[in-house]
This record gives sequence, C-alpha cells and structure tokens, in this order.
Amino acid sequence: MLGYICKRLLLTLPTLLLVAVAVFLIIRLIPGDPAVVLLGEGADAASIAGVRADLGLDRPLPVQFFSWFGHALRGDLGRSIVSGEPVGASILQHFGITAAVVLVAVTFATLIAAAAGLIAAWRRNTAIDLAVVGAATVVLAVPSFWLGLVLLLLFGLKLGWLPFVGYVPFSESAGQAVLFLVLPVVTLTITESGVLTRMMRASSIDVLQLDYVTHARAKGLSERAVLVRHVFPNAFAPTLTLVGLTLGHLLGGIAVIETVFTLPGLGRLMVDSVLARDYPVVQGCLLFTAVVYVVVNLLVDLCYPIFDPRVTAR
Amino acid sequence: MRVWLRHAGSGAILGISLVGALLLTIAIGLVWMPYNPIAIDLAHPLAPPALHHWFGTDEFGRDVLSRSMLGARISVLIALATVAVAITLGTTLGLLAGYLRGWTDRVLMMGTDTVLAFPGILLALALIAVLGSSNGSIILALSTAYTPSVVRVVRSTVLSIREREFIEASRSAGDSALETIVRHVLPNVLPPVVVLATSLFGWAMLSESALSFLGVGVPPPAPTWGNMLSESRPYMDIAGWLSIVPGLCIAGTLLGINLLGDALRDWLDPRRES
Amino acid sequence: MAVAHTLKTLAVCGVLLLGCAIAWARAGEVPRAPLLRARLNSDIVSTNPGTRRDENTDGVLLHIVEGLVASREDGSVGPMLASRWSISADGRVYTFALRPEVMFHNGAPLTSAEVVWSLKRYLKPETRWRCLEVFGPTGIARVESISAPDPHTVVVTLDRAAPMFLTTLARADCGGTGITHPASVAADGSWITPIGTGPFQLGEWRHNQFVQLKRFPLYAALPGPRDGNTGGKHALVDELRFLIIPDSSAARAALVRGSLDIIDNLAPSELMGIRGRTDLQFQSVPILDCYTVLIQTQDPALQDVRVRTAIALTIDAVGLTKAITRGNGSANNSPIPVASPFHHSVEAQLRQVNVAKARELLKAGGYDGHAIKLVTSRRDPQMFDAAVVIQAMAAEAGLQLQIDTVDWPAHLSRYIAGTYQLMVQSFSARLDPALSFGVFIGDKREEPRKVWDTPRSRELFDQTLQTADPASRQAVFDTLTRDFLEEVPAVVLYNSSHLSVVRSAVIGHQNWVSAQPRLWGVSLR
Repeated sequence: MLGYICKRLLLTLPTLLLVAVAVFLIIRLIPGDPAVVLLGEGADAASIAGVRADLGLDRPLPVQFFSWFGHALRGDLGRSIVSGEPVGASILQHFGITAAVVLVAVTFATLIAAAAGLIAAWRRNTAIDLAVVGAATVVLAVPSFWLGLVLLLLFGLKLGWLPFVGYVPFSESAGQAVLFLVLPVVTLTITESGVLTRMMRASSIDVLQLDYVTHARAKGLSERAVLVRHVFPNAFAPTLTLVGLTLGHLLGGIAVIETVFTLPGLGRLMVDSVLARDYPVVQGCLLFTAVVYVVVNLLVDLCYPIFDPRVTAR
Repeated sequence: MRVWLRHAGSGAILGISLVGALLLTIAIGLVWMPYNPIAIDLAHPLAPPALHHWFGTDEFGRDVLSRSMLGARISVLIALATVAVAITLGTTLGLLAGYLRGWTDRVLMMGTDTVLAFPGILLALALIAVLGSSNGSIILALSTAYTPSVVRVVRSTVLSIREREFIEASRSAGDSALETIVRHVLPNVLPPVVVLATSLFGWAMLSESALSFLGVGVPPPAPTWGNMLSESRPYMDIAGWLSIVPGLCIAGTLLGINLLGDALRDWLDPRRES
Repeated sequence: MAVAHTLKTLAVCGVLLLGCAIAWARAGEVPRAPLLRARLNSDIVSTNPGTRRDENTDGVLLHIVEGLVASREDGSVGPMLASRWSISADGRVYTFALRPEVMFHNGAPLTSAEVVWSLKRYLKPETRWRCLEVFGPTGIARVESISAPDPHTVVVTLDRAAPMFLTTLARADCGGTGITHPASVAADGSWITPIGTGPFQLGEWRHNQFVQLKRFPLYAALPGPRDGNTGGKHALVDELRFLIIPDSSAARAALVRGSLDIIDNLAPSELMGIRGRTDLQFQSVPILDCYTVLIQTQDPALQDVRVRTAIALTIDAVGLTKAITRGNGSANNSPIPVASPFHHSVEAQLRQVNVAKARELLKAGGYDGHAIKLVTSRRDPQMFDAAVVIQAMAAEAGLQLQIDTVDWPAHLSRYIAGTYQLMVQSFSARLDPALSFGVFIGDKREEPRKVWDTPRSRELFDQTLQTADPASRQAVFDTLTRDFLEEVPAVVLYNSSHLSVVRSAVIGHQNWVSAQPRLWGVSLR
C-alpha cells in the first residue's frame, strides 16, 4: 500500500514540474509590469527599472525560474510583490478559509445527495423521485453566484439575520466565524448537491437492478438492510469519484463565491494576484493547488475500494 | 423515434420547449429587436418593466429585452463554439491516446493532467489576459479548460472497446489504423461524447457568466447574460429585474439543455429504460 | 420508514444547532463604543510612508505620520511639525522652526536630529522614496544640505529657488514627507514600523481584513480647528479600524446593517440603494481629481487636430457626468479642477456638443470610418462607464470607437508607454494646479505618458513652477487652458465628488478636496 502511494506520488512529479513551468511562463506573457503596478500612474523609467531590479525581474528567465523553483522545493515560496508578505504563509491562511467552506459544503452536499439519490432511485418514478430529480436539475441550472447574491440579499440585507461582509477567524471567535460562513456554505451546498444527487440516483438505479440485490431481498433481509449494506456502498463509489473531482475544481471555481461574500479565500487570492501581476503569489498558489489536486485524487482513489470491493488498489 | 417520444416523458418535452424558445428568440433577434441593444438613453435609466420596455432598462437606459435577445445570441454562440472546439480537439486527442497507446498516450496524458491541474477559472483568466478580451479569446480560453475532460472520457471509452471482437476483426481484415478508428471506434465513442457535449454546453455558459462576473468577460458594449448579471449587482435591491432577467435566462437555458441531454442519454442507452 | 425517519431527525437537529449557533453568535455582537470603522477598497501596501504606496496607503499612513508642512483644506501649504519657516532672499535656504511639544509614538520628543535623519533617509536611493525624482536632475531643485543648528531648527539648502518645494513636501503621495523616529528602521536599514508623531499610532494590520489604528494619548495638537492635513487634529476615538472591503455593494450593505460606520467614498452606482434613508448622513464634496480621455497625438489616425476636435465635440460632458456620477460630479473641460481656487471664467468654459460640426471636421480631417480603439479598465467603474457612454455618443457622429477593456496593470503599462489611441484615465487629486497640468505636459521622448508635448506648453508650464505669485500664475493657467481647449491633446470630462455616507451616530466627519479619508475629529454618539 505504501509502495503504491509512493509510486503514485512519484508519477505526478513530471506533471508538477510542467505545471510550474507553465505557470511561470503564462503569467509573464500577460501584458503589464508588476513594477508599474507598484509605482502607480506617476512612475518614471528610472523608478521602474529600480523596482524591477529589486524584484529580480531583470534577470534572465531561466535564472528566475530555477531560483524560484529551487526555493519552492525547500518550502520557500518567496514574498508577495504587492504586500511583501511571505507567500507560503499567505496561501495557507487563505486556504484555511476556502477549505473550511468547501469541505463543509461538499460534505453536506454529499450527505444530501447520497440520501436523496438513494431514496429517489428506490422510489423510482414516484412523486418523491420526480421531486428529487426536478430539484437537482433546477439546481444544476442556477449559476452559483446568482444564488449567492439572492441569498445574500434576502438573509443579509432584507432580513438581517446574517452578516453581510467579511470574515472572522475561528481563533478570534468561533461563533462569529460560523455566522460569516453560513451563507457561502449554504450556497455552495445547494449548487453542488445537484450534480451529486443525479449521479447517486443514476448509479443507485443501476445497482438496484443487479442480481445480488434481488438475491438479498429473497434471503429475507429487511429493505433497510438491503439499501444500507448492499446498495449504498456500491452505488456510492462513482459519486465519490465525482466528489473528488468537485473538490479539485472548486479550489479555483470558488473565486466567484468568495467575491460575492467577500471572503479572503484562496480563489480570491489567485484571481487578485493574477490581476495584480503578483508573480510569486500566482506561482505559489498554482503550485499549491496542483499539489492539493493530486493529493485529493489520490485519497479518493484509495477510498474507492472501501465502497466497491470489486475494485482493488492495483 | 415515436417509441422514444412515448418514453420521453415530461422532462424531455420541457427541455425541448425551453431550447425551442431559446432558438426562437435568437432567430427573431437576428431580424428584429424592440430597441438597439447598445443605444444609450441617459434620460431613462433604471426604468422598471412597463409598456415601453417590457423588461425595463439598465443604468444607461438600454432596453433589457433587446440586450437579452442579443445576449442570447452571443452567450449561445460562445458556448457552442467552445463545445465545438473542445469536442473536436478532445475527441481527436482522446482517440489518438486511447487507440495508439504507448508514448503518444503518455505524452497526451501528461499534457491533459497539466492542464487539469490548473483551476479552470484561473487558466481562463490568464489566457484571456494574455490574448486580450474578445469573443475569440474567451472561446479559446474556455475550450482549453474543457478539452482535457473530453480527452479523458474519449480515451477511457476507447480503452474499454479496443479489445472487443469487431476491432480485432477489423484489424485482421487488414484495415489501417485510421480506417479502424473512423469506421468502428468512432461510432462507439459518439454516445458518451454527445452526452458530454450537452453538459459542456451548460458548463461553458456558466463559466462565461462567471468570467464576466469577475470582470474579464465579453467586452462592452456587447451584452451577454453573464455580464448583464454582473453589472446588475449594485442595483439588485432597487432594480431587481436587471438581475432576475439574465439569471432566469441562464437558468432556463441550462435547464432545457440538461433535460434534453438527459433525454438524449436515455435514447442512446436503452438499458436504462424501464 | 426507518431511513427516512433517521434523515428527518438529523435534519431537525441540524436546523436546531444552526439556530443555537446564530443566537450565540448574535449575543456576543455588542459593538464597543470607542471604535470607529471606516472602509478601504483595497489593502494598504506597506507602512513605510512615501515608498511602496497607493492612495489607500497614503490615506491611512497620514493618520500616523506628519511632515514639516502639510496641506490645508483649500490645498495650500500650512505648518505642521514646523510652526513657522523662513525662506532666504534667493529662495534657496529654508529655515524651519520645530514645535517643541511634539512627541513620537515611542515617547521620544521630536528634535531636529530626527527630522534631519528622516529627510536624509528619504533622499537615499535605497529608500525608494516616491518623490526622489523631484529632487533629481529633471526635478525642481537638488538638495545641497540639510542641517540642524539647534535641537529645534532645521535648515534645508537647495541648489536653486524652487517655489514648489513646500508643496512637494506636503504631497500625500510623498507620504507627506512624514518624519519618523530612527527606531522605525532596523540596524540593517529594513523597515520595521512607522513611529511617527500623528494623532493615531499603528495597531494591528491584518492583511486583507483590516488596519487598526490606536489613539496616541500624548499627541500635541496644533491650536485651532481641523484644516486639511494640518490644523487641530484630535483623535476622538480610542480605536480606528479600516475594514478592507473591495466590493462596493458589500460595503454599502455593511453600512446599512451597522457593521461599518463610515464610507468616505461611496460608488455613485450604490447611491440609489440608500438615498433617503434617515439613519444615514450624506455629504458630497468636490475633489481635485480628473477624469479625462487621453489622445495619442502621434497616432496617424489622431494626428490631425480636426479629428481630435471632432471627438471632443461629440462628448456631452454635462450629460455624461450626470449619468455616471449620479449627479455627484462637476463637468469640466479644463485640467484645473472645478474645486480649485484657480478655476475661474476661462477654465469654466464647456464645449457645446455639435454633432454636425463633428461630422464635418471628421471628413475634413480624413477620417474614413475605421474603428479607433478606446482603452479603459473595469477597476474604476466610472472609467468603464465613461467609455461606454463616450462610444455611444461618438457613434452619433459616425465616429466608430471600439472599447478595449483591460485590467489595471495592463492599463497602467499602456498609459506609461503611451501605447494606445484613446484612453480613459483618471488622475488622483492634485492639490496644486501646476500638478494638474503636469500630468498632461511633458517630453514624450522621455515620458511617453505625457500627451501634450509642444514647446509653448512646456515653457508656460515651467513658468507656473517658477512663480509663487497667485495672480501671475492664474494668468498663465488661463493661457494654458485656452491652448488646451484648442489643441485637444486630451478631452477632460469631469471632476468627481466624493460622496461620503456615515451612520447618524457619527459626528464630525467631513470630506475634503484631497479625497483622503480623515478620521481625526470624528467621534461616535
């Protein structure tokens, strides 16, 4: 098992290197000089040159790359051009917020999807099924940021139940922190549960038609036991893969939610740093995201056999 | 066909109606719109829906209905073009990777994994920043973000069928690789690709509106539902129609596409019937 | 059945838990009175005045540091740490008398030693002082020496007379040339924290969340009322928090809900949502900024002055201003802002829209209907909206403009390099009209961002820098304005007004022409 994990991780190294090079090059292709951004509208050529030298941007590209990558391998992602803060610490701080929202939301969405999808498949073509499928399909079609805006307007502004802007870290006040996260989590839960529910329902329908389910029923097992012990684990496996993919793509896609709810999360950090040409932050973020993406997929693949014994970790 | 329609059920009918309404709107919009969608009227900003302007006006006095009609055309065009590019490129690469295996496969997979490791929105953002804001660059950026998914699906489908008898038969009959791919592999790859295409269309539309929301969407004054939604934000509580109309348009279109996609999947995969 | 039952129980428990959490959190939400919360639309970029900076950074740091002189409410220069000064007959030697009662935040008294140290530090290239070039070869003068004959006197000697010297010292984007204590800097020269003399000191800076300032109890205020960045500056609250809220809709909502006390610059588009609310106070103050359309006169399509004039004739500045600023701006075709004391009858002339004449001029100038690109950015919604409106207005005369929306770094880079045909640009507040003209006038070969490069304009501009006499300066400004309107190197659109919105519990808030937030003299009921 350990060998399998190591082998998988090693296989991803060339990809990570490619990602590093790609990020490095793409961000420098975007027109716009970070030194100019720093100095603002009154910048003269001498100051710009001075700032570029300060930032090490006047060195040849390969030198810049290997210097950055070398440091990155040792855990030093450099300092932000805009704020001067260490990139690593900044990423972790922002990631904490994003992870909190994403993990909680996806967990809730998965729970809802697992239950609703299973029940809808079990009671196929009845009113419940129609309701679940209808709800899931509608939810799929609604843009997440629009939903977020509407919820924010309703609960934040009109009803005033929840705070409208900002973020309070758990270390300062757990209660307050939860308040600020409720709306983003609810929005994300709703939007993600649609596709997960449909997947769960589809695979549950497949499993329910299999022989061994009929066999289990014939053996005299209660419906509940059949559903929970036989149908669910097998039906859940493809949904779990989808959960993994979702977690991965949400790392970037959450930028929109964070914009709507003004959360200082990783998505927002990435967007802002691209828009500010903050090279070290963009490079650090994307490297970090790539690593997380790889790790998450690995974890999901490892969990798969738990749910589907037919699949063994090869 | 008649058999399919009988089994189709209300979902497919709703889907067809919604998509039909969309196509009708676009068709009408090609020849007539109540007002010029980009003409401003500073004397009547933020007018609520009324007889003169069925969907009201925006902050520059532009007619929301006309903008929605033009927006339909642009949003759908961008999504369609994205799907076309992603499907074509992705299918080709996926076929090559899945059928040829070996180094071709490994190189292609490394490429797609690299692209997949980038958060899609960010990749699109960076590409659009490099290429400048235009319809073309948005289509290119979104297709780049989505092609890897197509490659993966096609490749896994090819992998699962390449060992089947009719492929063996074709090979032993002396067909070249290209002939085998086109005559036998491709038709079997099409069903999941078609289904994926409908999902892609929805994602592309959502992504375009997300990009507009972040400020890097289709450049002004051209309207898309996405940028209409994002520009409505400061006025949400005093001019609700500005966000409701494009939001409903997006939701309605996606709903129709998804329902249609579901019906297509059911039709193409009769095992699921019952 | 059992599964459904379990699920239902779980759901009910979940809702109950959520409700408890909300209640518990709301209970702890009692706001503390001596805390004033204002808003920044982006995080500050450093605490080192006048070096890495942007407008927000300047605004916050000017609560913490003070310079020898500072800007008054009307934009002129007044005493700050120097109670008075004298200038030698040849205009080269400035002798400043320091106020004896001033203390630094670390308790040390202000003496000439610290002033000399601070000024010399600014002049060192490695400090990267934003205004170093003003004292370089292309600037107003070189500093020959800075000395401290006694603990309360500082003498600065320049190599020639420079009437703009004090104005430069007072500039916000120079960090107000704020005097800091040597303990602000580490032994190796790296910056630690701003130990200044201002009414507030730096508390906690939580990146992208807030900047906290605390009242400095030993602050020695100048006598008299508040006056720009000088005058009597009294910290009336214990704690000041600048919350960082990039999104203007979120800021507006925060204010309405009571999570924010002051928005000193409300986006005009947010105005309609809160107009008429009785629990808020509104105030609109014209500021000395400038929204303009820059024209690249070296571009072949725009070389002919008739084409440029035609562009200017299609723009209805009054209508545009009213629409974009929701009535909170002043249309203006002159580089001198409406709120400036130097804005008189010549500067107040507004072009009348004349579509027919524009068409004529376009034809005469050889315009063949091809698209001319207009660069703008979404970073400032007013800049973006201006481009949309201008494009529509130009279309009426048959002038095809194509909007090129770029993000801020790209916009800035193109501005500095002059690589555009038309560009919507906004300039932050310049308190002296020479500085307002200075953004347009210059040598394109040395500074491609300058749009007005004619020998006559440069000569006239130099004159305004050499005289201190208001009357003669006004005459030159009038001439410059007339030339500007005739030669059309750019089309000035309007000067905006800062719309401040504060909760009714806030007392004493007053915006002023420099557009900086100013939170001394402000308290909560």
